[in-house]
Amino acid sequence: MDLFSGLIHGFSVALTPMNLLFGFLGAVIGTIVGILPGLGPLGAMALLLSLTYGFDPTAGMILFAGIYFGAMYGGSTTSILLNIPGEAASVITVIEGYQMARRGRAGAALAVAAVGSFVAGTISLIGLSFLAPTLATAALKFGPPEYLAVALVGLVIMSRLTGGNLFKSLLMISLGLALGTVGMETVAGYMRYTFHQPLLAQGIDFLPVAMGLFGISEVLVTAEQKMGQVQLQKVRFRELWPTFVEWRRSFWPMIRGSFIGFFVGLIPGPSPVISTMVSYSVERKLDKYGEFGKGAIEGVAGPEAANNASVGAAYVPLMALGIPFTPAMAVVMAVLLIHGINPGPLLMTEKPDLFWGVIASMYIGNFMLLVFNLPLVGVFANIIRTPLYLLMPIVLLLCLVGVYSVNNSMLDIWLMTGFGLLGYFLRRLGYDLAPLVLALVLGPMMERSFREAMMISRGDMWVFVNRPISGTILAVGAIVLIAPLLIAWIKPLFKRKSAAQS
Amino acid sequence: MKFGSIVFAGLMLAVGVVYETMALNMPRGNLAYPGPGLFPMIIGAFMIAMALGCLVQDFLPPKKSDAAANALIPKEEPAAEEERNFMKTFQLIALMIAYILALKPVGFPIAICIFLALAIRIFGYRKWLPALAMAAVITVVSYMSFVIWLAVPLPMGILEDILG
Repeated sequence: MDLFSGLIHGFSVALTPMNLLFGFLGAVIGTIVGILPGLGPLGAMALLLSLTYGFDPTAGMILFAGIYFGAMYGGSTTSILLNIPGEAASVITVIEGYQMARRGRAGAALAVAAVGSFVAGTISLIGLSFLAPTLATAALKFGPPEYLAVALVGLVIMSRLTGGNLFKSLLMISLGLALGTVGMETVAGYMRYTFHQPLLAQGIDFLPVAMGLFGISEVLVTAEQKMGQVQLQKVRFRELWPTFVEWRRSFWPMIRGSFIGFFVGLIPGPSPVISTMVSYSVERKLDKYGEFGKGAIEGVAGPEAANNASVGAAYVPLMALGIPFTPAMAVVMAVLLIHGINPGPLLMTEKPDLFWGVIASMYIGNFMLLVFNLPLVGVFANIIRTPLYLLMPIVLLLCLVGVYSVNNSMLDIWLMTGFGLLGYFLRRLGYDLAPLVLALVLGPMMERSFREAMMISRGDMWVFVNRPISGTILAVGAIVLIAPLLIAWIKPLFKRKSAAQS
Repeated sequence: MKFGSIVFAGLMLAVGVVYETMALNMPRGNLAYPGPGLFPMIIGAFMIAMALGCLVQDFLPPKKSDAAANALIPKEEPAAEEERNFMKTFQLIALMIAYILALKPVGFPIAICIFLALAIRIFGYRKWLPALAMAAVITVVSYMSFVIWLAVPLPMGILEDILG
């Protein structure tokens, strides 16, 4: 199936009433969690993961795509109106957006953010539609060594990019891999780390881990923050339209932001957040009006476009290779795993309904979100008035009931609570949770690939380096890992030299 | 937080050692036909090395570049009120454990209703009666949606005869 017949087929799937409803629901939920501080798209998806068990996998994927895109739209609303970022990818928007609101241009900022998100979303979806099938076709040639290389290098790049401490990130990777080995091993059926508990034989389920780490621990962290009543600025409909100059000034930042977001989104790591930072610093460097810090519209248009574009890009490795590169994509992949679908390069040919249906539904969802965030922005902004003392207990309730509903198992509730506590301490100690979760998801696949590669090569370790594709991927990983160390080592030498000369 | 950081890294080191010891007792096979113990053995060694790395790092004086990297991530809470806030987390966790323990004997509706009322109070709403009323409403809604609509077989406990 080529691209266009694929997309047409996808739209025929996405336009069925049921899938439209799920897209709509996802967009609404996404906008709401985007607006609410203390609950991001990741937490919301982890929370609802147990519910998707009862749906068709395509519907579950459509729901989650709506949530992820919607959160990127909704996050800007409170950043601009209240100086409170709704989620991490909108932290940068606060800088210029709130300044614009103080000058009475809140409406323009909201409109530019929404239109920028739409433009970027569309550009990145076109990128996804072209790139995912191409990559999937290329990936049919991938063997076990290539898969191991991609996963390994993905984890390495991610631990480099999360910005935190390298040792801490690598320690989290090792913990995730270790947790992934619990249970019955697949080749010989050998029991590992089960401590004679029959319940652990199937391994540690991803669901309670994700709900604990992202749902419960987020509630616990929020519980510690001071809560005050917020003052909401009223935005009238006619104020929403930016002036011609504002449009002209935001056009190129939107386009640049879209491309920055898409390419950053392809890299493993917390790409929505990083893409907004890159876009902001680019726009700041290109600043012609000297308005940065005082409410420059470029600083809203660029980053808000970038975070949306990164979402579309994040789907590329998942849909084409079956490898999630961000924690959010790991949760999205879990929707498929719950239904026994192993995503990979064959997904496109074996499950065209799902593959193309999900992509097509993203185009539709993007339209819906534009409507939510332009005319209806005032309605949604009121959501922030929901008191946290009501919201957070409801989130806990959804976790406690949801995790039980999948396997009806008490062990899962205990696991979730335990991982919630672990996640809380890790956050407090400055550890990043993303490498842990990705390693847990990728671990079993990595072990399988490693063992198969070893059997194919009859125990020759060089198989990973000698094969051109896996060798190249590993070389990139090695450079990413070593380059910053080298730079840190060389820089002082240069400095000393120049100091001696002057 | 330095103390906590060291304790955690030490804990991870212990986990790594136990993990590695167990891995070494599994059949390892050989490189051409790897057994179940080979991959865990690699992970365990890696884990021990990284935990040691974290420990060494905690004992070394902080570098300037670290401080700069930390400044990029906005700090969320002021350190002053840490103790009082920590109580909230502790209370919430105790509440969750109490709920799990009570779920089977007492049953879902009563357990979750009390859980919600207490959670609402922990999150800063202080009046008892409205808190109980809100909890009751949420309980009814969740009972309708999860137990009746989605048919989740949640334990009913002492209400088994009436609702079951």
